[in-house]
This record gives sequence, structure tokens and C-alpha cells, in this order.
Amino acid sequence: MNAHALGTPASPDATRPAPAHKLEVTDLHKRYGPVEVLKGVSLTAHAGDVISLIGSSGSGKSTFLRCINLLEQPHAGRIVVAGEELRLVPGRDGALKAADSQQLQRIRAKLAMVFQSFNLWAHMTVLENVTKAPIQVLGVAKEEALARARHYLEKVGLKNIEDRYPAHLSGGQQQRVAIARALAMEPEVMLFDEPTSALDPELVGEVLKVMRDLAEEGRTMIVVTHEMGFAREVSNHVIFLHQGRIEEQGDPRQVLTDPQSERLRQFISGRLK
Amino acid sequence: MDFTIIVERDILALFLQGLLTTLKLLGISLAFGLLISIPLAVLRVSRHPLLAWPVWAYTYILRGTPMLLQLYLIYYGLSQFAAIRESFAWPWLSDATFCTALAFILNTSAYTTELIAGALRNIPHGEIEAARSYGMSKRQMYRHVLLPAALRRSLPAYSNEVLMMLHGTSLASTVTLLDLTAAADRVYATYYMPFEPFVTAGLLYLALTLVLLRLFWLAERRWLAYLQPRGA
Repeated sequence: MNAHALGTPASPDATRPAPAHKLEVTDLHKRYGPVEVLKGVSLTAHAGDVISLIGSSGSGKSTFLRCINLLEQPHAGRIVVAGEELRLVPGRDGALKAADSQQLQRIRAKLAMVFQSFNLWAHMTVLENVTKAPIQVLGVAKEEALARARHYLEKVGLKNIEDRYPAHLSGGQQQRVAIARALAMEPEVMLFDEPTSALDPELVGEVLKVMRDLAEEGRTMIVVTHEMGFAREVSNHVIFLHQGRIEEQGDPRQVLTDPQSERLRQFISGRLK
Repeated sequence: MDFTIIVERDILALFLQGLLTTLKLLGISLAFGLLISIPLAVLRVSRHPLLAWPVWAYTYILRGTPMLLQLYLIYYGLSQFAAIRESFAWPWLSDATFCTALAFILNTSAYTTELIAGALRNIPHGEIEAARSYGMSKRQMYRHVLLPAALRRSLPAYSNEVLMMLHGTSLASTVTLLDLTAAADRVYATYYMPFEPFVTAGLLYLALTLVLLRLFWLAERRWLAYLQPRGA
């Protein structure tokens, strides 16, 4: 897939010359044993792109997302983040692993991930959750990290919960803390892995609203989602995965209202009634 | 029954001395035992068999034999070998306090290692993935996420280990040390009355237990608040 920077909201500091490609994944393959779950998937995200990955369960969309930051190990492919190529070498089991673990850590810090089940650190308060990685991984000074944390917690609509523990928050609040934790890394690209799938229906809205605000700010986001409304209205590019391949992709308004492939038609009609 | 003997000055002093020895042994063995068991637990959960296996053997042997036997082996057993008697370590290995502390440290470290290793294995996988995905190195992950979480979750079980060790320290009386049990034993031997001194020692152990339970209650309230229901 290529240029699709159409209609992207301009980044707030458009004066800074950002690298054209925030994320470039080329021809990614992944196997579980003999089963090939990704059969050559590529994706390019420019600054400000919001790309929705949709598809039925088992289509490989979450696996693809998790390969980008090497939570899963791909068997082939190329990953470039903000102009820096992740150096991969084959491991003993045939899957690729990072050639240089320090480079992997550096690149991961540029790709903040938001998980389906939040994955907040349970023994840390909200404030510690949001400051931990910036302080330890990025080397941000404590004062600065605290200021960042408070700023982003406010941005996701959370106040007066700094000293609470994750278990004492609602699911929607936890996911918003997780988003604040991702924002505090000031990442190049944010990866969302079905961020609303574990939430009670009445809590989905608050998380989607935060994500919509982030999209409007011009953040670069890759979102694995089942929320067709979000894919259609917020993202500027949608990729439909089917059995480990990109079946169809393009402008969401076009792709989702006038699908070309039979499978996407079935997928949408099964969902959008 | 005549408890007036116990409150005589000499005998009170004897019990006090025994109490201090018991506390000293407990403190030393717990402190060093915990210190050793943290790195051992990390090795124990390693995916590399060459790291995990020796620790498995270590805890298996120390948990699989009585502490009294371990104490006898160190205090009596080692002195049988001339090479040890002539080595630089002999001044220590011929000292009852040192041998006892060593046996206790090894023993409690084995139990504590398994306890922390178990807690490490039970940390939700998602928390580890979050740490990895945010670019933490293995070292940072252990230091900031895994160990703090595992140590906290170990607290309730560790309080049990501490009480077992408190009572385990009474074995020190078998190698000439004057701990709380030995103090009671000495009063028994001197006055030929067993009931009063042993009940006195028992009450002192109970009092120590109460203090330890209270300390753990405070520690759990502070470090395990995140597991409590909201507002508790």
C-alpha cells in the first residue's frame, strides 16, 4: 500500500520536518508451527495517519500488530520506525529476533502500545504507571515525568485518581490510564490492540472519545478494532485482513460503504446491521 | 507451681539473654536469607536450565532435609575434615553462632527462594508484555515490575516462613547456644522444675509472634493495598 495521506489533520507543530514515514512494515510473514497466520502483510503510516485494522478473529490482525513491536516474532519482513530499520536476525526456532536488544528497546519506546486488557502494572499507583517508563526507559527527569503524567491524565479526562491503584478503577478508567501511559512516552506511533473489546458496553464510549481526540490532534495510530463506527469516522485508512492477507484497503468511507471483495461485504453485513 | 523463681533477677536475666540470642539469630538469618533468595528466585525462574537447575537442586536439598540435620552437619560434620580444620574458614566454622546462623540462612533462603519464584511465575503475563513493549530491558523489568510485584505478593506466605524460622531458632540450643529455649532448659536443669520455665519461654515466643504478626499486618496494609477491595 502506498500514499494515503489524504485528508490527514495537520500535526500541531507542522513546522518541524518530520520523517515522511512514521512506520513502514513490509511483507511480514508469521507462522505458528506449520500454520502461516500472516502471509506477507505490509503497511505504511505517515505522520498523522490513523489506520484501522479490521477482520474477523483469526484473520491475523492482532498478531500483525504484535509483530510490529516484536511481542510476537515474525518469520520474515522488514520493520522501519521513524526512519530506523529494526535489525532482525533468524533465531534458532526459525523466527526472527532482534539483532541488538538495545535497538529493540529504543524502537519499542517509540511505539507505545495500548492493550485489550489494559495491562497496567497492578502494584503501582496510576501516577507510577504513567511515569515509570518515561523515567526508566527514556531517562526523563522525575519532575518532568510527573508534569507529563498529569498533563496526559487530564487529557484523557482523569483527575484526582493519581494515587489510586488500577484494581480500584473501572475498566474505562483503566484503559484511559493505559492511554495516558502510552502518551507519556511521546511515541512516534501508538499501537492499539482492540482497546475497547474488554470493556462493558457503556464504558466503550469514553475510551473511543479519547482516541478520537488523539486522532484529531494528529497522532499516528494503528488500531486493531471491531468498532466499525471508529474505523469509518476516525481513521483515514482501513485495512481488511482475511486469513493472513490484506483482502482490501483504502479510504474507510469508500471501503466500508462500497466493499469490492465478497469477504469484506460478508464481514460488514454480519456486523453493521 | 511456683513462678516466683522465674522473676528472680538472675533467672530473668537468663531469659532476657536467651531472648536476645533468639532475636539475633532470627534477624540475621532472615536478613541474609532474603538477600540471597531474591537473586536465586530470579535464576530459579530462568528459562535456561543451566541457571534454573542448580537452584532447584539447592532448594530441593535444603527443603528436603531437616534443619537440625543441616545444623549438625555444619557444626559437627565439617570439623571431621582436617582440610577444613586447617583452612582459613576454621575460626568461623568452629564458632557455634556462626554455624547456626549459616544453617538457618541456608535453610530459610531455600524456602524463601521458592516462595518468591512462585510469585514471579504468577505475575500476570500482560504486565510483563507491557514492560517489554515499553522498551524496558530485562534488568529494568525485574527491578521495577517483576520483583516489586512478586515481593509484595509473597508477603502473606513469607510471614508464615518468618514464624517457622522463629520457632526453628530453638534448634540453636542443641549446639551450645543460649537461646530462649536453652534458657528455659537451663532453669529446668538447675531447679528441677520443667513446667514454669518452659511455659515462660512459650509465653515469650507467643509475645514475639504477636509482634511479628502485627508487623506483617502493617506491611500488608501498606504494600498490598492494591489487592484490597476499594476503600479497605
